[in-house]
Amino acid sequence: MTNDKDSVFLAEGGEHEQHSEEAAFKMWLRVFVTVRWITVLGILAATFLASRIFDIEFPTAPAYGVCAFVALCNLALLFQARSLRKMKTSLAIRRARIYGTIHLLLDLAAFAVLLHFTGGIENPFIFYFVLHLIGASLILHYTSVYLLATSVIVMVSLLVGLEYAGVIPHVNLAGFADPGLYREGSYVLAILVVLGSALFAATYMATSVAGELRKRQREVMQLNQRLLGKRTRELEQASQEIAKMEEARNRFLRFLGVTVHDLKAPLTAIQSYFWVMLGGFAGTLTEKQRSMLERSSQRIKELLALISDLLDIPRIETGQMAQEMKDISLKPVIETAVGDMSDLAKQKKLKLKLEIPKSLPRVRGSAPRLQQVVTNLLNNAINYTPKGTVTVRVSQDDKEIKVEVMDTGIGIPAEDLPHICEDFFRASNVEIKGTGLGLSIAKRIVETHGGRIWVESPCPETGKGSKFSFTLPRKRSKRR
Amino acid sequence: MAKKILVVDDDPDILDAVTMILESQDYKVVTARDGIEALANLKAEKPDLMVLDLLMPKMDGWAVCKELQDPRWSKYRDVPILILTSVREEASRRRYELETGLELDVDDYVEKPFSPDILLERVKQLIKKKEKS
Repeated sequence: MTNDKDSVFLAEGGEHEQHSEEAAFKMWLRVFVTVRWITVLGILAATFLASRIFDIEFPTAPAYGVCAFVALCNLALLFQARSLRKMKTSLAIRRARIYGTIHLLLDLAAFAVLLHFTGGIENPFIFYFVLHLIGASLILHYTSVYLLATSVIVMVSLLVGLEYAGVIPHVNLAGFADPGLYREGSYVLAILVVLGSALFAATYMATSVAGELRKRQREVMQLNQRLLGKRTRELEQASQEIAKMEEARNRFLRFLGVTVHDLKAPLTAIQSYFWVMLGGFAGTLTEKQRSMLERSSQRIKELLALISDLLDIPRIETGQMAQEMKDISLKPVIETAVGDMSDLAKQKKLKLKLEIPKSLPRVRGSAPRLQQVVTNLLNNAINYTPKGTVTVRVSQDDKEIKVEVMDTGIGIPAEDLPHICEDFFRASNVEIKGTGLGLSIAKRIVETHGGRIWVESPCPETGKGSKFSFTLPRKRSKRR
Repeated sequence: MAKKILVVDDDPDILDAVTMILESQDYKVVTARDGIEALANLKAEKPDLMVLDLLMPKMDGWAVCKELQDPRWSKYRDVPILILTSVREEASRRRYELETGLELDVDDYVEKPFSPDILLERVKQLIKKKEKS
């Protein structure tokens, strides 16, 4: 059975969305209105048939009057039901119950009047009060339904009792019932007992079913809310974790910034002094001193390069590079990298060729990082090519831009090819010093730009050396 | 007359090295160890060029650049600034933009470690440019 207190509590829980209990109430109100129209038509038909076809004599005007009254009430209810639509759930349910009660009481009064003018106890339609109660059970709280059932039986008893006692006149359904029937105490009592018991039995059954139904609806609602609450909590937790990770990332980047500075600062100072001495700014050097300083300076340079490389990796992986990306023109990036490496190529007496289209589309990326990739590939190509040519070829199709760096050098052993982009990997056939991080960083940079990088050895075009290629996706044109 | 260059760096060894390099070309060198000292010397010495480090205690190089945007310093706006730092140019510009919403308005940018020849070349160009304007 239901309990009003928690119905109100629940109703307030689910404010704006359509509460299922509210929806049910509205549905019952609609059913109520429809059944009433049918009832009015039924009364009209019964009155018409009884008086005209079956020649039962009774005054029909009161019957038609009651029909008109009920029809008017029903119209009013129709408007009231419509006004519920915009209300908050808790209010709507309360209103629906109030409207239901008022109209059920109005109906009760109307049917009592109708009963009086259509034979009272003689009229078999007296049992239709049971239907009235079933309808009420769907809308009203169960105690109200019992009260209504009691008032029905009291009202009917009062009506037939007063007629029996002769306090009010009795209308006989002439031609249908015996005119003396209403004064037969045992008959009247029997009808009242049957009607009364039928009323209470129907009330009990209907309120049980309706109560159970409402209970289920509430359970579904509660379950929904609990699930929704759980989902919300999970989302909150996830977003907190993301914020924590973001903070940890920023802390790490700050830590890196300090580290890189503190590691590089003393080396930079040493390097500056070396260069000051090598440049002759601190007096002339003997050949031996110069050579030692040059070698020291070279070692410092290697160490600085290693530090930069080591710190590049976390910088790229924590997404710092992605934040540096903007619309850039690729052509100057490649031309600068090639220009920077031309001295080294000249020193080694290598030919350095650049094949690049007149214009290249803009890409989204970090110019210094992409330049770092090209410089790295060129540096490798030049270092591992004893003689011949290093070629940079840039081409494009409608999806991507491709940069190829080809050399005629020592190439890469087949078994090393799959590992060439791994951290600290050094091919087995190289003697020149390096950190083994250059290509792995290049790979990270290219992939962060949404491109691919791969190597072929020997170079398919020349049959010797190796070819490194990478692609960058073309920026999607905004016109589409 | 010898051109005067203000060199700002918190690392005394870098200051020494830069001073030696610049003095070899007969520039007069004044030094400062942080941003506050730099601004004071800018006022007192009226140099022809400022060589500025970025990561420094008390007041860093970015803060010096930002301070110089203030109208109070308009007199010194024609003093060229050469950034000499271990911070990558890209990262440095980004940081300045994020913090101030402005573009880092400096005349040249050299990343450490630097070769003496390159430093001298850039300094020469900036001083020449300043004389022309």
